[in-house]
Amino acid sequence: MSEAQSAQCAADEERQGEQGVYRGTKEVKTIVKLKGVSKVYWRGKEKVEVLHDLDLAVPEGAFEALMGPSGSGKTTLLNLIAGLDVPSSGSVRVADAQLETMGEAGRTKWRAENIGFVFQTYNLLPVLTAQQNVELPLLLANLSSSERKRRAQTALKIVGLEDRVRHRPGELSGGQQQRVTIARAIVNDPKIIVADEPTGDLDRHNADEILNLLDKLNREFEKTILMVTHDPAAAERASHRRHLDKGKLQ
Amino acid sequence: MMLGSLAAKNVLGRNRVRTLLTIAAVAVTIFVFILLRTFITAWTAGAEHAAQDRIATRHKVSFVIALPKSYADKIQMNKDSLGVTDVTWCNWFGGKHPQRESDFFATIAVDPQSFLRVYDEIQLSPEERESWVQNRRGAVIGDALAKKFDWKVGDSITLEGTIYPGNWEFEISGIYTAARRSVDRSTLWFHWNYINESVGQRAKDQIGWLVSRVEDASRTAEVSKNIDAMFEDRGEQTTSMSERALQTSFLGMVSAILTTINVISVVILAIMMLILGNTIAMAVRERTNEYGMMRAIGFAPRHIATMVVGEALTIGLLGGLLALVLAYPMIEQGMGRFLEETMGGFFPYFRISGSTVIAALVLATALGALAAAIPAIRAARLNVVDALRRVG
Ligand SMILES: Nc1ncnc2c1ncn2[C@@H]1O[C@H](COP(=O)(O)OP(=O)(O)OP(=O)(O)O)[C@@H](O)[C@H]1O
Ligand SMILES: [Mg+2]
Repeated sequence: MSEAQSAQCAADEERQGEQGVYRGTKEVKTIVKLKGVSKVYWRGKEKVEVLHDLDLAVPEGAFEALMGPSGSGKTTLLNLIAGLDVPSSGSVRVADAQLETMGEAGRTKWRAENIGFVFQTYNLLPVLTAQQNVELPLLLANLSSSERKRRAQTALKIVGLEDRVRHRPGELSGGQQQRVTIARAIVNDPKIIVADEPTGDLDRHNADEILNLLDKLNREFEKTILMVTHDPAAAERASHRRHLDKGKLQ
Repeated sequence: MMLGSLAAKNVLGRNRVRTLLTIAAVAVTIFVFILLRTFITAWTAGAEHAAQDRIATRHKVSFVIALPKSYADKIQMNKDSLGVTDVTWCNWFGGKHPQRESDFFATIAVDPQSFLRVYDEIQLSPEERESWVQNRRGAVIGDALAKKFDWKVGDSITLEGTIYPGNWEFEISGIYTAARRSVDRSTLWFHWNYINESVGQRAKDQIGWLVSRVEDASRTAEVSKNIDAMFEDRGEQTTSMSERALQTSFLGMVSAILTTINVISVVILAIMMLILGNTIAMAVRERTNEYGMMRAIGFAPRHIATMVVGEALTIGLLGGLLALVLAYPMIEQGMGRFLEETMGGFFPYFRISGSTVIAALVLATALGALAAAIPAIRAARLNVVDALRRVG
């Protein structure tokens, strides 16, 4: 561990101390609140209840890891929180929005403003440069092209890719591509970042770098991060861990 | 960078081979479309450009039966009451180039003075005019014909007669150009007297048809009727028609062909749509995951649809432009010149018209967009969660 890193660790510990569990006695807002959420899929006539009467509260500024066996509904849960999907029943309140009552168009707009997405498979557009990929969410905002460029470059600087702005995804390593995805997720300054197995396709070293980055976003930029992971080492990096099994959070 | 440029990048930035093949296919179909349209316009242009103020009078039974030359004199004498300003007469000579018999061109015997007055769009220098009128063996030829046989003013040429047997000597007095498209640029016109003096007594003073110039172009139908009425009780009755009406009646005969060509050009465009639509549908299927990502980060269905349609528009436009780039040299320089020179009677002007250019580009892009409608709607309606689950 380098000196700078150990200094960072020390600072982290200090802050952790301050916070206790979720910043101790300080009044912290709940940013994600799920109540009695069920999600049912129909496969032909067969009913598959993936989530069953599930409750969840996530305070603002948390970095939570969601674990559980394959097929336990982690992605389904994350999609509900991110407003990509609506529950079969129950209430999903995220960043002051009651998602299950909003229409598709309303949720689309809400996602653009409140959620940053990090996917396991990066999902970058291969025809665009790193910078253009990062600019993508900004096309929806009313910004001048120079302003978009400036913000995209800032985001790429945060993820340490300021020297790769003109590279296309095909010219970047997996770890670098995932960093571009993170830059894209933060470029319009959302409150929440959802990451579905962000390190699933990466080796240990690259995975650690991505986790460091998420950690930095959580601490320095105060993003609430919800991360699905299979990797216990990755889960260790979160400030809180939850297990999903048989449709319930353990 | 905006959505439009993203669409353009999607077209050109990946699967280049497929994209280029599709652009080529669009280009070929649009090229054929341009060719067919040009063919139709060239053909109908004959009627459009035909002189409105000239009436041709022929034997009532058939074009090939001669009329007496005295009919011309009779019209000339009654021209004021008929509303005719001038009249000239012609004989179909049917001469052939002895070495190049299969190269068809029209050879027509005329009375030079009245002919030049009635066909005032024929342009000759005053010297050429003078020397033709003076020289009994003189002939004037169109510039296209001169080029084809490499004939020059002053050349002596020999033609083989078919209707009038034997070898006939001519001297080229002049090479004409046409001020309007109403006259063929590959005809040889010569003195009617030359053949009239050479034929036997029985065939003397016979003419093939008469051409009158009317004072008021809007009255051609009426004047035609009056001319025919004048010869009603004679041995040889006549049929008169304006040049335009003649061309139009010819078009009427070939209207089935024109309709067929029109149908083919529509079919060609439909094929283009299928090819383009297929390419777009394939691209959309491959990019399901990308569209899912875009929808997740906040793009609306209409953004996705716009992008898909934008891709089709780009391919259509590029294909259309490529077709034009190919069509101009091939049709204007090659095929068009050839047809004008060899079949000037049918195609006095075989060129791509401005409206064809516009139609080609508009149709290539608009039909391209239409072909993309179904894939665009499908892409826009994708369920975000399902699209994201699909890998690759
Ligand atoms: N559209 C659907 N129709 C029917 N069943 C579905 C659908 N989407 C998901 N499922 C089912 O829901 C269950 C939970 O899926 P989900 O993807 O949330 O699991 P996961 O915990 O993310 O698994 P993994 O760790 O493998 O990513 C699975 O059994 C899956 O088959
Ligand atoms: Mg999953």
